[in-house]
Amino acid sequence: MEAPAAAASPSVTFYDFLDRMRNPASLDLVRSIKSFIVSFSFYTANPENDGKRVQEFFLTMEAAIGEHPLWAGATDEEIDSALEGLEKYVMTKLFSRTFASVPEDSKIDREISEKIGLLQTFLKPEHLDIPAVLRNEASWLLAEKELQKINSFKAPREKLSCIMSCCRVINNLLLNASMSENHVLAGLDDFLPVLIYVTIKASSPWIFLHHLFDHISDLDVVHFQMKKQAEAMFVMERIRFVLLMANPPQLHSNLKFIQLYRRQAKLVSEAAYYFTNLVSAKTFVVDLSAKSLSMDEIKFEESMQAARLTNIATQIEASPTLQGQTIPIPPTAMHDKNKDISDLQMPSIGIGGSNYPYMDAEAGELTVGDVERLLGLYKDVVTKYRSLCTAVRHLSVSKTEPPVPHSEGTSFLPKQPEGINTKIDIQRED
Amino acid sequence: MGCSSSLPDRTSGRLAGPNIENGGAPDPKNLRVKLVLLGDSGVGKSCIVLRFVRGQFDPTSKVTVGASFLSQTIALQDSTTVKFEIWDTAGQERYAALAPLYYRGAAVAVVVYDITSPDSFTKAQYWVKELQKHGNPDIVMALVGNKADLQEKREVPVQDGIDYAEKNGMFFIETSAKTADNINQLFEEIAKRLPRPPSS
Repeated sequence: MEAPAAAASPSVTFYDFLDRMRNPASLDLVRSIKSFIVSFSFYTANPENDGKRVQEFFLTMEAAIGEHPLWAGATDEEIDSALEGLEKYVMTKLFSRTFASVPEDSKIDREISEKIGLLQTFLKPEHLDIPAVLRNEASWLLAEKELQKINSFKAPREKLSCIMSCCRVINNLLLNASMSENHVLAGLDDFLPVLIYVTIKASSPWIFLHHLFDHISDLDVVHFQMKKQAEAMFVMERIRFVLLMANPPQLHSNLKFIQLYRRQAKLVSEAAYYFTNLVSAKTFVVDLSAKSLSMDEIKFEESMQAARLTNIATQIEASPTLQGQTIPIPPTAMHDKNKDISDLQMPSIGIGGSNYPYMDAEAGELTVGDVERLLGLYKDVVTKYRSLCTAVRHLSVSKTEPPVPHSEGTSFLPKQPEGINTKIDIQRED
Repeated sequence: MGCSSSLPDRTSGRLAGPNIENGGAPDPKNLRVKLVLLGDSGVGKSCIVLRFVRGQFDPTSKVTVGASFLSQTIALQDSTTVKFEIWDTAGQERYAALAPLYYRGAAVAVVVYDITSPDSFTKAQYWVKELQKHGNPDIVMALVGNKADLQEKREVPVQDGIDYAEKNGMFFIETSAKTADNINQLFEEIAKRLPRPPSS
């Protein structure tokens, strides 16, 4: 498995495509492309249909480019790179309309991300029986980084290429082990467990920092320039919140996006094989139970439960409302947060029970007399949660690693990180 | 060698030739075939493929590829070529439920067991049933008893393999990835059994 030759210069071929599109002779093609893109604003998102339409459009354009005077005498490779340029252009333009475009997909992403967040706290290579010679933290980290890059790109081909790079790193690791450690090459028997482990680890906390930096620069301009302390505090809280709610790697949506929008003629052969392996890793995680691991069933359940508690505790601790600060956070986010906690059904907390009579109260119904009682309850809640957090941390510290913030709620989801070429456009005077 | 082996295509999913991956009509003279390998962990799936693709077995030798996706083209006597794209699967029990992701759309399934391991033969039968239920109905299936060089440790009689394969309309062969016995024959025989697209 080697680096795809053409991937070495994707931007060159892409700018070549844009150049040709600026040529007056390509006016007809540009019109078709623009009207195709515009046509998407007339319909609501329907991934399967959208995928079909895009693939049909690629085929139509393939025929049109093949017969076009601008490409007269072009080699197959040149036509192919024009089509790659077309895919990138169209899918970058349609990205927000086609990526995780339906709520079900975001929901699956969130569920996977949450499960991974729990698994990260206790999963070890031996639980997947990864042989010791293949436990190479440096290689794994490299593979994780390659996979994480998937969210920095919008073009299906580039996303796919991140998966390929990740798999390439793992293959190199297997190869090195076979050469230096006399480890017998065992094909996918060795490859898949490592890929699964890397996939789980690839959503480790530091990816959130990347998203955070993207986000700070946005907020920067808007808020920090105001130089008001309150505003700055507000921004800081928002950032903390964003960090908590940070965009998960969106494994499901990325895979679905590639499957639907990568030119079908290109999702074949080795690319299809490694793509399938990541789908396989995702499926394994989704269905993962104690039986999927070399781990005692009771211990597995305990670890999952401890991870859940730690996650809840972390969220509560970091939640702006419980920090004694009067930071306004949008009611929707609050609502989601409460809902998520109550969804986890923790009877001991007794949310909504008689101990906390204000759970369903509206602001308008409160009187001045309620303030004192509310303050008392508030202090009570904070004290209890603090103790809970401490207790949980003591409990889990011996067998788990630090918790990973995972996604809850949606109102502060940072926007997709911008790909390197998002500001593209076919600009021309016509 | 019974087949002319060319270097495996290692261009990572890029166009291998202008007429191969464009999604157009299949070229009846140059078939491209997805082959999936199924079988228990340790039966030697990967070794069979490495032997076929690289002509080598020595597990400690310096192979230069990851062993899970490989492709190899063979030329048949009627001047057609068949390019096998070989998809390995993970043999461990915990990944069994993922197999359909791999055999979906495969034209050929090679189910491998180890003649020294009755358990692996049982597992092979499980895969055959699974493919009959959920695989592509036109799939060409081969049953392969590997490690035929270990005659003294044999626990699965040849006849058992023959009988089971016959009952299920499969091609049967015993191979040794170690000595290269029957490895090329396996793939040539599969190539002959492939349904041909009508030539125009």
